[in-house]
Amino acid sequence: MKDIRTPLWTHLTSEPRKTGTWRSALPLYQNESSPCLDACPVSGRVAEWIKQVKDGDLRGAWETLSDNNPFPAIAGRICHHPCEIACNRRDHDETVGICSLERFVGDMALDQGWQFPLPTKERTQSIAVVGSGPAGLSGAYQLRRLGFQVSLYELKEELGGLMRYGIPSYRLARDVLDGEINRIIAMNVTLHTRHDVTDASGLRDLQSKHDAVFLATGASRPKPLPGLDYTQPWVVDSAIFLAATPNDQAQMTGAHVLVIGGGSAAMDVARSARRLGRKVTVLSLEAEGQLPAQEVEVVEAREESVLFVSGAMLQQAASADGVVEAGCTRVEFVPGGTPGSFSVAPIQGSDFTLMVDTIIPAIGQDADLDRWAQLLDPDGPVISTDGNWQTSRKGVFAGGDLASMTRFVTEAVGMGKDAAHAITATLDRDCAALTPPAQAFVGNDRINTAYQADHARSTQPVVPASTRLKSFDEVQQPLTQDQAHQEASRCFSCGTCIYCDNCYFYCPDMAITKLENGYSVDPDYCKGCGLCVAECPTGSIHMQEDELT
Amino acid sequence: MEKIEYTDEGQFFSGHVACAGCVEALSMRVILNTLGKDTVGVVAPSCSAVILGGHPMSAAKIPVLHGTLESAAASASGVKRALKAQGRDDTTVLCLAGDGGTYDIGLQALSSAAERNEDILYVCFDNEGYMNTGGQKSSSTPRNAATGSTPFGKTTRKKNLIEILAAHRIPYIATVSPSHLNDMAAKIAKAQTIEGTKVVIVLIPCLPGWGVADNDAVATARLGVESGVFPLFEIEDGVRYTMTKSDKSDAINGYLKKQKRYRHLTEADRADLQAEVDETWSRLLAQAETTV
Repeated sequence: MKDIRTPLWTHLTSEPRKTGTWRSALPLYQNESSPCLDACPVSGRVAEWIKQVKDGDLRGAWETLSDNNPFPAIAGRICHHPCEIACNRRDHDETVGICSLERFVGDMALDQGWQFPLPTKERTQSIAVVGSGPAGLSGAYQLRRLGFQVSLYELKEELGGLMRYGIPSYRLARDVLDGEINRIIAMNVTLHTRHDVTDASGLRDLQSKHDAVFLATGASRPKPLPGLDYTQPWVVDSAIFLAATPNDQAQMTGAHVLVIGGGSAAMDVARSARRLGRKVTVLSLEAEGQLPAQEVEVVEAREESVLFVSGAMLQQAASADGVVEAGCTRVEFVPGGTPGSFSVAPIQGSDFTLMVDTIIPAIGQDADLDRWAQLLDPDGPVISTDGNWQTSRKGVFAGGDLASMTRFVTEAVGMGKDAAHAITATLDRDCAALTPPAQAFVGNDRINTAYQADHARSTQPVVPASTRLKSFDEVQQPLTQDQAHQEASRCFSCGTCIYCDNCYFYCPDMAITKLENGYSVDPDYCKGCGLCVAECPTGSIHMQEDELT
Repeated sequence: MEKIEYTDEGQFFSGHVACAGCVEALSMRVILNTLGKDTVGVVAPSCSAVILGGHPMSAAKIPVLHGTLESAAASASGVKRALKAQGRDDTTVLCLAGDGGTYDIGLQALSSAAERNEDILYVCFDNEGYMNTGGQKSSSTPRNAATGSTPFGKTTRKKNLIEILAAHRIPYIATVSPSHLNDMAAKIAKAQTIEGTKVVIVLIPCLPGWGVADNDAVATARLGVESGVFPLFEIEDGVRYTMTKSDKSDAINGYLKKQKRYRHLTEADRADLQAEVDETWSRLLAQAETTV
């Protein structure tokens, strides 16, 4: 019997009450995919490296970036950035300038001379990589990282493929290109330039010397334009034009250049010709606003006084009295279901004639499949591969434009990476091929934008058109350090925890503990309300129903 | 983004019996930890009393006196005078009550304490009704809100307690919201340094009482602040108004939509409420402008 004279003071905290028993679901911390990562051809962990930029860890950001892509400075300049198109910030104000940030990090790495480490474990097996474009170099880089001996075979004198011979220096400065390529070669890649693997026997020969072959010879055959006589001196192939030096380009072109096509190559040809002082007209099947080139390229071409005739096609061209008469007609253009496919219907009575001096068709290029005939099965216009870039011949893999119609530099980089991992999986049973990233990603509905101030995007400065037409120097200028930090701060970090502590502070039950690098939930007290999830700005927590025990 | 920055010193314990997702418990955590160890609590019968108590357990690390509903402010005044008599002038006396114990039943005691300028920090967790007893209306319930005793919506407007308190010319009055925890901590810390009667009104979207989802009370409070339904501001000495947030969004619809108690509203009802909010807001802004 308790002595009633003892005061009945409160003598316990509430902690013995395990209110966690009320719960039916527990928060689960789990970094998830973001729309940018989902869209990225190289599966770059965008939210992760942007956070590193925000935190001032540029070296770390570069290392995260180069896990998947050895070319951040290049991709930051020329990538078609599906990441930015998918960015969740679109509905808030403007998408995050991911490319400009990637360029900033990439430039910093080149500036500081950061190098890729050599593999910790060297393997004895050797791989032949044929072609030094984005797919081949990316494959070589990943294979070296995985410890393989890599021999790189390139037909031309210099490395880079399309990046060197197809993309002008005003979009991609040559010191940047050289810097990022040299860094890969410095990983002890054995080089064989001016080496042509012309035919099936050459390929068999490579197979006899190496444990696997990765073909990434690109698409170098110009698509012929019907109605155009390529033997005429006033017809210049766009690939030859873009690969030439400005002096040679000047030799090839007359005063008025007609460029045919609406893609990146057409824009590059047109803008290069403008830098030679030519009058330039671009004739494209696609209507205005539908050109397959990136929007910024079209905008910059317009600023450079390139004239556009959209929704029209060339029917025939003939030279008379030193002038080329290009007979054209307006068309209805209907894009097809697969990349590159379309149909056109000429509009009756809409014929017109353009008087020009040179015609440069830039309507795309095909892969040269003939030389591998009898050895590798084709699949329409490309080499047939299975889901792991394995061709019909065991031990021979293919990627990039040779094996795919998704014709973007970063797509090729992604294929090189995936093929390298697929090759590893066939040669080393302990290594699995890369699994594709999860399909589900954190959508806008899971981002709490109450914590995001409105802040317009920091745009890269652009050299004025009058200045840039005087040289082949870069048009887009880099962000400043402050701008880069500001832009990185705009990232919602969808699906990736930023350790903001909102979950910790918004818990009414003190059930969340801050750890060194994350949080833990105390199931004894968590009532499962989900406030932590609701107030998480990044969508990196979700409620998981408790299992019945 | 702005990080939340107060330090949890362990002044509020897990195991309390607030509903899952209750932002009154969340606010209590901020307030108790901001005030620190040298604090004595006085609590009126209310959700706070339930959350803190359950004899012989306590969710607060400080001593708490559970008083009667009509006497919270009077009890707190007595506790403060007793502490002074012991030479503990610096000990903060924190009085916690709901809107029932503040707007209605405890108003006389609060008015008297305010008139005497007793040195207490009075915090009213305003969930706009008697939510602890099943959700009846109080004089704090806003017009048109459905409660257990006004199932078709209350016909009169919410009592403007803040103007009543300002008329007492007490040194400090502030409104705070569980959606703005840094502001809450800052205002509580400021109030602690001021001698005399301080009253802080906390907006508490009540999950069962308002019909708000378990994970949605912070977002609801945020919309209340952003739409101007619950403006964040301070009044010093009853006359100097300072707006914490001097802009508001146009519409209160987002705020109303979160709550089942407003589900029966017609377009006209919503317009009435909007007009009331706009009028109160512009009046407040005018007061703030004349005192800047």
